[in-house]
Amino acid sequence: MTEIRVPEGQWETDQEAALATWLYADGEAVSTGVTVCEIMVEKTSFEVPAPAGGVLAIAIAEDDVVVPGQIIGTIT
Amino acid sequence: MSSSDTQITAAPAERRLTIAKAMSEAIGQEMERDPSIIVLGEDIGKMGGVFGTTTGLHDQFGRDRVKDTPISETAFIGAAVGMAASGMRPIVELMFVDFFGVCMDAIYNLAAKQSYFSGGKVSCPMVLMTSVGGGYGDAGQHSQCLYATFGHLPGMKVVMPSNAHDAKGLMLSAIRDDNPVIFMFHKALQGMGWLGTIAGSITDTPDDDYVVPIGKANIVRQGSDVSIVGLGATVHHGLEAANKLAEAGIEAEVIDLRTIAPLDRQTIIQSVSKTGRLLVVDDDYLSFGIGAEVITSVCESGAAPLKCPPQRIAHPDIPIPFSPVLEHFILPDAKKIEQAVLSMMKAEK
Amino acid sequence: MSSNQNKRLWMYANMVKSRHFEDLIKPAYFEGKSPVFNMAKGPIPGEMHLSDGQEPCAVGVCAHLREDDIVTATHRPHHIAIAKGVDLNGMTAEIFGKKDGLAGGRGGHMHLFDPAVNFSCSGIIAQGLGPAVGAAMAAKLSGSDAVAVAFLGEGAANQGAFHEALNLASVWKAPVVFVIEDNSYGISVSKSDCTAVESNAARAAAYDMPGHHVAGNDPDAISEIAGEAVAYARSGQGPSLIEIETSRLEGHFMGDPEGYRPDGEVERLKELDPIPKYRARLLADGFEEADLESAEQDARNQVDQAFSFARENQYPEPEEVYDHVFV
Repeated sequence: MTEIRVPEGQWETDQEAALATWLYADGEAVSTGVTVCEIMVEKTSFEVPAPAGGVLAIAIAEDDVVVPGQIIGTIT
Repeated sequence: MSSSDTQITAAPAERRLTIAKAMSEAIGQEMERDPSIIVLGEDIGKMGGVFGTTTGLHDQFGRDRVKDTPISETAFIGAAVGMAASGMRPIVELMFVDFFGVCMDAIYNLAAKQSYFSGGKVSCPMVLMTSVGGGYGDAGQHSQCLYATFGHLPGMKVVMPSNAHDAKGLMLSAIRDDNPVIFMFHKALQGMGWLGTIAGSITDTPDDDYVVPIGKANIVRQGSDVSIVGLGATVHHGLEAANKLAEAGIEAEVIDLRTIAPLDRQTIIQSVSKTGRLLVVDDDYLSFGIGAEVITSVCESGAAPLKCPPQRIAHPDIPIPFSPVLEHFILPDAKKIEQAVLSMMKAEK
Repeated sequence: MSSNQNKRLWMYANMVKSRHFEDLIKPAYFEGKSPVFNMAKGPIPGEMHLSDGQEPCAVGVCAHLREDDIVTATHRPHHIAIAKGVDLNGMTAEIFGKKDGLAGGRGGHMHLFDPAVNFSCSGIIAQGLGPAVGAAMAAKLSGSDAVAVAFLGEGAANQGAFHEALNLASVWKAPVVFVIEDNSYGISVSKSDCTAVESNAARAAAYDMPGHHVAGNDPDAISEIAGEAVAYARSGQGPSLIEIETSRLEGHFMGDPEGYRPDGEVERLKELDPIPKYRARLLADGFEEADLESAEQDARNQVDQAFSFARENQYPEPEEVYDHVFV
């Protein structure tokens, strides 16, 4: 199992980040490197690549606030 | 689920893209292949397009091939016509279809007639990209669709994808076409975070080269009771309604037009021949619109005996209002489609 | 106070009013749009173009206008509407899409019409110019000495409509003033990347009319030139063009990531914010602190009251959407 984490160091720590869109549904298969979700920080979107291939388990819903380093899902 | 199960059941995953990413990827890949392509428009350079259609292209190809223009549409769209007549393949963006009024001559009197007036000797291989649609409170000068306006004018092809896969394939077709192609993209599907995105528009999109042919509609859901014809956002509303209707035992066939002009009448007529019921849904103004054209085409064909009068849902013949209580009252949605189908199922001819 | 002092205090108060208006729009606009920014959500959906930084253009020009003078404004209209005296309750309610908005919620923030003070605006670049020429001619032909003012951005000076309207106004000797608010950017594209001339004021020569350039985003300097141009029009001498160097302190629209700005530009521009600068100058010129505070308080109260009105106002009935397509 590989954890999907919110990227670190891409925006200022005092900026609020939120999970905007999951491009895949819970339980779907993903390949390494595809964009699995987008995180919005104020007005800018950041893509989160799949760290591994396998089946996606989503831990954090769309519209929820996230912080850098946070686990937002896993790939098994 | 155990890990051994997942390894067996998980199909090889494809990349999933938004329409915005699919469009910019298609343009970038084709620019690598074809040096005659140039991209022009407002804010398509460093900004990558207000709607993300040219993301990364300015960095990749430089300002000679990805050129921000002044707000001078008559000039730069006219210039694109001249480039197209001179061996180039310009891709031009004008960010809202609402803004086309200022430069319509370059579009419908020049680009659309270049081939005809030259007896087919001078082609006009240009793509004109533009956003359509409302639903986010931007009022009547930034929310129109104008599908029928452009579909009505001869000499141009008009396409609109409902998902990322089709967006890439239609874009590659549009660029390679030797005629002017208006490439419309719907804001509710574009995948810009700040506009919200209908989830069904984000689809698996191959990273290699493929085309979705211009002029071919797509049956996105099979059904036997009613044909729901839509395009862009209304395809997704139609699918949502179809899923609800299935709970009531009604099987709707949903057709995604994908191309407005030339219209794929054959696919629609075949579908209605099977279902006997026709509902057309779009978010352009109602009168003289897509619905009128589709319904007339089916009636004229005589091929499809209808079990009930055909119906259309569209934006009424009023400017698009700002206030959300007004706008959402009149925009087509899944609920309105579901109700229309239910009453069609009750109606006797 | 002398009339000049009154005018300066009026300009200051209207800049404060306009800025306070935008300051209240910001949190209202972000309601429902957090943590994920989605333009469709909240009490004010859609695009929002704020005028922070451009207030001197509006007050410097409108200080010379009467109620019967005509103004056409742009997609970034709030400061101009306020300086022209547009009904604040109706304007705010319109921006909130409410029943007693200027158009009952049909237009929203880019489409404000207040015929009581002869103000209108639209979201289409450079398309306020033709109507301003026409309104100016209507005044002239009716024997009135009213004038029209068309505001535009510097990006709009590259539109055909700009050049056509200037030529037509000159041919007709229309009593109109064209005011370019040059904030250096047409969305993301800088003026220098898309404009053949360094100063748009130079373009006036092509249409045989006076062309003025005002630097410094300074209400007094703008007012001086605008006073000349309005008097020139009112006395029947014809149109003129004013180009004002101003600054856009916010993005093109709220939600604009502004990646096209050089690092530190917004901070640098904010240090040159024209409102505190003007306040300091008024104090240095002998205005009383108490008078400024009282003008500020009054301006803010009017805006606060308009926002309360708009918030409490009802939404229109959905069926009203069909009204007013025709008169």
